Amino acid sequence: MKKIKYEDIGSILNPLKNLQFFARKPITEDLEPRPAAKIYRGFHLNDMEKCIGCSTCQKICDNAAITMVKVPHLKEDPVNGIKNLRPAIDYGRCCWCALCVDICPTGAIELSREYVHVCDGDEVDSYFILPQEKGIHGTEQEKGWTKTASNDLLARTRTDMGEMTPEARGDNFKEIVDGYTDEQAILEASRCVQCGMCHDSCPTHMHAPEYIRAIWKGNVEEAVEWMYETNPFSHVCGRVCTHRCETACSLNQTGLPQGSEPIAIRWLKRYAMDAVPHERIKEIVARKKSQEKTGKTIAIIGAGPAGLTAAFDLVKRGHDVQVFEALPKGGGMTRYGIPYYRLPDDSLERDIDVIQSMGVKIEYNTRIGEQISMAQLHTDYDAVVLAIGLQSGRSTRIPGSEHKDTRSAVELLRLIGNHDGDEAGFDIPRTAVVIGGGNVAMDIARSLARYQKQRFNQVEIIVTAIDELEKFPADKEEIKESLEEGITIIPSRGPQQVMIENDQIKGLKTWHVESVFDSDGRFAPQYDDSDEQIYPAEMVIEAIGQMAETELLGNTLTEQLEWERGRIKVAQDGSTSAPWLWSAGDCVNGPDVVHAVADGHRVAESIHACLTGNKVSDGKLNDE
Amino acid sequence: MNCDEINVWLDTLLEEINEIKVTRKSDRRVRVDVDASSLPALLELLKGKASYVHLSAISCVDWPDDEEFELVYHCWSYEAKSLLSAHTRIPRNSSEEFARYVSVYDIYKPAGFFERDIYEMFGIYFESSPFMEKFILTEWNGPPPMRKDFDAEAYVNETFNWAEYNPDWLQEITEEGGGIAIRPEDVRL
Amino acid sequence: MRPENYQAVRLPSSNEYEIFIGPNHPGIEGNYAFKLRLDGDEVISGKADAGYLHRGFEKLMEGRLWIQNLAIVPRICVPDPVPMEVVYSLSVEAISDIEVPERGQWIRVLQMELSRVASHLFTFGGHAATTGMYTPSYWGVADRDLALDLFEELTGGRVYHIYNIPGGVRRDIPDGFLDRLGHYLDYLESRQNDYDNLLFTNQVFVKRARGIGVINKEQALEWGVTGPNLRACGLPFDVRRDDPYLIYDQLDFDIPLQDAGDALARILVRRDELFQSVRILRQIIKHLPSVKGPVRAPIPNPLAWNVPAGESYSRVESSKGELAYYTVSDGGPKPYRVHVRGPSSMHAVQVLENVAVGARIEDVAQIMFSLDACPPEVDR
Repeated sequence: MKKIKYEDIGSILNPLKNLQFFARKPITEDLEPRPAAKIYRGFHLNDMEKCIGCSTCQKICDNAAITMVKVPHLKEDPVNGIKNLRPAIDYGRCCWCALCVDICPTGAIELSREYVHVCDGDEVDSYFILPQEKGIHGTEQEKGWTKTASNDLLARTRTDMGEMTPEARGDNFKEIVDGYTDEQAILEASRCVQCGMCHDSCPTHMHAPEYIRAIWKGNVEEAVEWMYETNPFSHVCGRVCTHRCETACSLNQTGLPQGSEPIAIRWLKRYAMDAVPHERIKEIVARKKSQEKTGKTIAIIGAGPAGLTAAFDLVKRGHDVQVFEALPKGGGMTRYGIPYYRLPDDSLERDIDVIQSMGVKIEYNTRIGEQISMAQLHTDYDAVVLAIGLQSGRSTRIPGSEHKDTRSAVELLRLIGNHDGDEAGFDIPRTAVVIGGGNVAMDIARSLARYQKQRFNQVEIIVTAIDELEKFPADKEEIKESLEEGITIIPSRGPQQVMIENDQIKGLKTWHVESVFDSDGRFAPQYDDSDEQIYPAEMVIEAIGQMAETELLGNTLTEQLEWERGRIKVAQDGSTSAPWLWSAGDCVNGPDVVHAVADGHRVAESIHACLTGNKVSDGKLNDE
Repeated sequence: MNCDEINVWLDTLLEEINEIKVTRKSDRRVRVDVDASSLPALLELLKGKASYVHLSAISCVDWPDDEEFELVYHCWSYEAKSLLSAHTRIPRNSSEEFARYVSVYDIYKPAGFFERDIYEMFGIYFESSPFMEKFILTEWNGPPPMRKDFDAEAYVNETFNWAEYNPDWLQEITEEGGGIAIRPEDVRL
Repeated sequence: MRPENYQAVRLPSSNEYEIFIGPNHPGIEGNYAFKLRLDGDEVISGKADAGYLHRGFEKLMEGRLWIQNLAIVPRICVPDPVPMEVVYSLSVEAISDIEVPERGQWIRVLQMELSRVASHLFTFGGHAATTGMYTPSYWGVADRDLALDLFEELTGGRVYHIYNIPGGVRRDIPDGFLDRLGHYLDYLESRQNDYDNLLFTNQVFVKRARGIGVINKEQALEWGVTGPNLRACGLPFDVRRDDPYLIYDQLDFDIPLQDAGDALARILVRRDELFQSVRILRQIIKHLPSVKGPVRAPIPNPLAWNVPAGESYSRVESSKGELAYYTVSDGGPKPYRVHVRGPSSMHAVQVLENVAVGARIEDVAQIMFSLDACPPEVDR
């Protein structure tokens, strides 16, 4: 750099040197708009297919420029986390900071390189725009500022939770996961964008955004209060829920290079329930109990999630509820179907204890239809709820399936559930084949594996099903953990025959499955019998579905009721064709805890309305 | 005077001034908490004896829950290359028009600007400051706006209207059965 | 409208009278007024009048999430917005203990220096225009525009870059950016002779600027003068050197000085600083490719980000002087208090009021521009 001294005045001719500019070529700029830079932050574009209507862009917008507009012709699919809301931008407020782009969970909203829009006073409406794939003037526009891994503002990775290694858990029934620590839970809760997809997709519409926010604020008691608004089985659901909320979660995205995992909503629920002392939970829940008695009495058959949820709601409203349970303990399938390593006994006990503390009376070891008849209940109570679950396993009915060592998974799980983990209640086979690809199949396989590891120090279990591995109904985690525990999974095999020699089961014969459904989408598996294999087994376990045991109804009632494909026909509010009888839970909807809870609420609402003289038309539980 | 000497000096200062607490946050940041009555004396010493000649800023923080204003005097020493932030708290005096404190204009001239700023934004009257008059908010007659109990967003909502748009595309969607679902003001976090 | 609110000055039966410069005046960057009392054409006293650009940024910031304020801060100083973003980010990082990855720090310094270049070019033009020379202002603005082109390519926005974020910068530099930056620096250096001939050694300008608005060392320290204005008084103080932040301590640059403390000294300091910035940018071009790694440290979900309770006083050297933010968090999702200390809050008010006394009316605009005051920093 040439130095200039302060004293230096320069030659008087200095400015004249600039006359040389007359000889230079002038710089001319076009009047046309110049093409903007590659990452220019111009007007918005929005991929209407990619956008899920979560309205996160609206929340981050620092100028309140985004209005969410309902667009009826777009898809509305709460279960898969899609709403038909789309952002509309007010360009009178937008400052093109592109935080909406950076925070968008899906990467749908982007900025274009278009930057010219002129209008006068009476066209001021043209400042309010619903961005689409094309620019604001309906022309194709190049993308400007888009989402990259670098400017993405969301934390896409789930907070890790400590869990036992496959080696450590292989021979015992201790709960596998450790649960979140305070720090981990707050970190995980902070990832939530409060879109409410989880609430909409949850069968019982849990207030997940609210309790996640409360956990993030460190207020676990408030979180528990929110949970009990909709779910008295929060300990259970915090561990074994099918968590549709996490499927629907806005952060559950597959199309992004940086990946995106949903919020661990189920684990957060588990954390909050464990963080509040049990007695305190009872106090919090008791606040909501009605002080006035209605004088009405209700009998509920089955102390599973559906029955006890209905009981909980009805007691809360001042009714008198008596629950009858055939087995020695409550919880239904959550106790007699789910192994301890997923749901420890004491968690379930605590849920039931809270429900009982509200005043629900449960009589165990009482089998309706044997000790007490349905007719008796009808006379003694104002309303009766049938929440008996699905207690017997379906059979493949292949040759050999009637053998005594061909067992149903639910039956074995019930035996295991009756014991404490060391004893199974039946002889453990050295080799076994499980037929089925759902969670029940995994539950029995993994339980057996633990016993085998304990007794024989090796696991020889094959799980086989007709579906391809990707189409297995079981949770992906279940499959992963089963494999880790030494279980062999063989997909796309059709069971043909249980091989029996000298009255002993020797194995299962299977054929390769070519297709599961026919061209009309009906279940009609096609096999390739040239690809035949026999899996050696001392025991074959069928886990292909469950049925209700409806003998307790008795002949008169069975004939009186309307039926639909083997199940009692119920209206949307759970009422049957008999005016005093309602039905709820797995026996109506098929197996799922959180559905059963939702069902419990639904029948409670309907019964309450009926008994107090306000019949609800659609039977839907109103949000409190 | 180098940093070490100033450390020693600050330590001896502890004995001279009542209720003083020195926190060394980093090499070049020192926090001093001092009683309001001792602050002018501290600044006098800082400027006169410890080379803190540059008053970088006076910041005011409103703590309505404590019924106090916090005043922070940021002093920079070009020699020691260290920034000393002297924190003090004065009563908020909510029942009266102004909170009151003394001016340090005679120690640091830049204080004049900051004191006037705090006067009109927070309503703290600095005794003997030459500039206790409106400067930026000449036409404002409301409460001192930077106080926490003045809600600027509420004021804006009361005073101004949101623009109402009804473009063609919105009318079409409304006919289909849709329309505006969540307004931006409903989700302000 | 505004001056009517003042009580009319009762003028004695002398030659004294009162005039307003501004709020709209070509000699000011932005809307700002200066009330002068004159005796003949000599200024007896001056009174700054701010508030025309007051948007209540500090109050607005208390009502927005930590990250939403990024869109506000650059608006506090339009000609030199980058330091505003950087110092805000630095203050948030200081409270929440976030370490910016090295590459992010280098890119921040790159922008800071490019912004300084752009701002100084703007000031050359403005300063010259107050002496009646308009060509440098065309040149200054046109050459600044080329810097804005680079900013547009780097950040997606020409004036409000909104590119820095607590944790670093929002995205990496585009391919080939450093080459184009290098070409721009070559171009600037090739223009040095033109600018020198036209402005810095132009007798007409030098004679107009010399001895105007003199600040001596004692006054400068007393009034809290910072930045190029302070260095024009012979005091070698620069936040980049004295209170280093980011990676300034790894860079090699001089602190240009002048002794006279007048308008000419100030513009000469700025001229030299511009080329020191060019020197820094050349070092960055050379070094940046070897700094690998991310440009941004992860921050929590901005919708649920509670910055831990605490406070920080962060300072940077903007093109106008010492720029500092005092930021307080009460552990909530929004700042509890952000105090913006712009260099112009000294230069445009007390310094100007003092320096203008005794000046002639035709030099007042030049004094204002030579102090490089940015009124929105005063109003906020």
